[in-house]
Amino acid sequence: MPGDRGRAPEETDAPLPHEDALLAVRAAEGDEAAFEALVHRHAPVLLRLATRLLGSPTEAEDAVQEAFVSAWRKLPEFRGDARFGTWMHRIVTNRCLNVLRSRQPVTALDNVPEPQAPEHQVSPTRAAEAHAAVRDLSRAIEGLSPEQRVCWVLRELDGEPYESIAETVGISQEAVRGRVFRARRYLTEAMAGWR
Amino acid sequence: MAMNEDGTPDGTAFGGVPEEETLPCGRELAQVWEQAGTDEPDPHTAGCPHCAEALRALRTLEGVVARARVDEPEERQWDTAALAGRVMDVVRLELRPGRTLALGEDDEDAWIVEAAAARTFRAAVDVLPGVRAGSCRVETDPMSTATAAPSARPPGRLPRGPARVRIEVQVGLSWNLRLVADDVRARIVEAADSELGLRIAAVDVVVADLLDETGRPDEADEEDRLDEELDEEDRLGEGGPR
Repeated sequence: MPGDRGRAPEETDAPLPHEDALLAVRAAEGDEAAFEALVHRHAPVLLRLATRLLGSPTEAEDAVQEAFVSAWRKLPEFRGDARFGTWMHRIVTNRCLNVLRSRQPVTALDNVPEPQAPEHQVSPTRAAEAHAAVRDLSRAIEGLSPEQRVCWVLRELDGEPYESIAETVGISQEAVRGRVFRARRYLTEAMAGWR
Repeated sequence: MAMNEDGTPDGTAFGGVPEEETLPCGRELAQVWEQAGTDEPDPHTAGCPHCAEALRALRTLEGVVARARVDEPEERQWDTAALAGRVMDVVRLELRPGRTLALGEDDEDAWIVEAAAARTFRAAVDVLPGVRAGSCRVETDPMSTATAAPSARPPGRLPRGPARVRIEVQVGLSWNLRLVADDVRARIVEAADSELGLRIAAVDVVVADLLDETGRPDEADEEDRLDEELDEEDRLGEGGPR
């Protein structure tokens, strides 16, 4: 997937930014209908982001819901320096980071089941094998620290540049690189059975 | 408990992952992986079995990650209706402190919150072809109340008197701005009268964006749109429509 590296965050179906700006101004002035329109426009992208970050659609829904409510409260201070989508992306990411931090306890390496490729090799269909690998990956991701996980997901699943991850998470680009490296290191180990 | 840079306790999953790792060939693993993400060719890596092994591990991971992305439900399959419903339930229950404007005559005790008046005006303006309303602020016209005796008002209540409206609009490129501003003004005065019973002293129309036919802001115009901002003001006078 090297070709995907460093591309802008996924905005394939991104809502028109100027329409967002208009709706955000209206919502900031107390227009609930405008805010509802913003929720509909941005919820799909944010739900996918939160699901990637948390690994659970149910928790992702809660996180996105809380992020929108907090955005509504903060909107009067939102000056539109950033795009509404970028702003929401940041709120959701940080909320997810807090959710991950509050999870108890962190899965220890010993508890992560050894990925076992041989079993699938008896007479596997390729699809079933790929599916099993994805499942192993999800399990392995649970072993990352919240900080590593967030940086890795934004980088490898969302395809964000280091620069924007650093801005979102509020740490240096070098720190982001370090976290992504350690996450990769850990995950390549965990997925060694699939090599 | 000792914590590492990521704030995770030592001895957990990450204790085993070194900060740096040097391959037997002397290359840093992090560097080999970083370089694999760029298009720069590296003569060493091309012929080094250790680097090749490290890259194979990375490619395996990337292969599974790519597969994981394929397996995700497509964006449009997310059910956002229920989520939006829950968000809006909370939002509607929250009271936002806002200014209120007096309606009707002096002896009436009728008020409207600014946000509701603004919503009415935006809706009135949105029906005009090629026009979208953005920010809309409504307050008592300072010039109309300058001579009025100060009276005790609850906090947030604006003094009684004709209102001054400042509305920002996005307008299609092909429209005559002066005519659009006149139309916007007329729509607001009419809506204030027929829907709210609010007297209007003045309407400031600010063209905040010019949109091309696709509904996107005109690229060339965006740079210096502030210079071109049309700030139309029209005092309707004391005897104006109410």
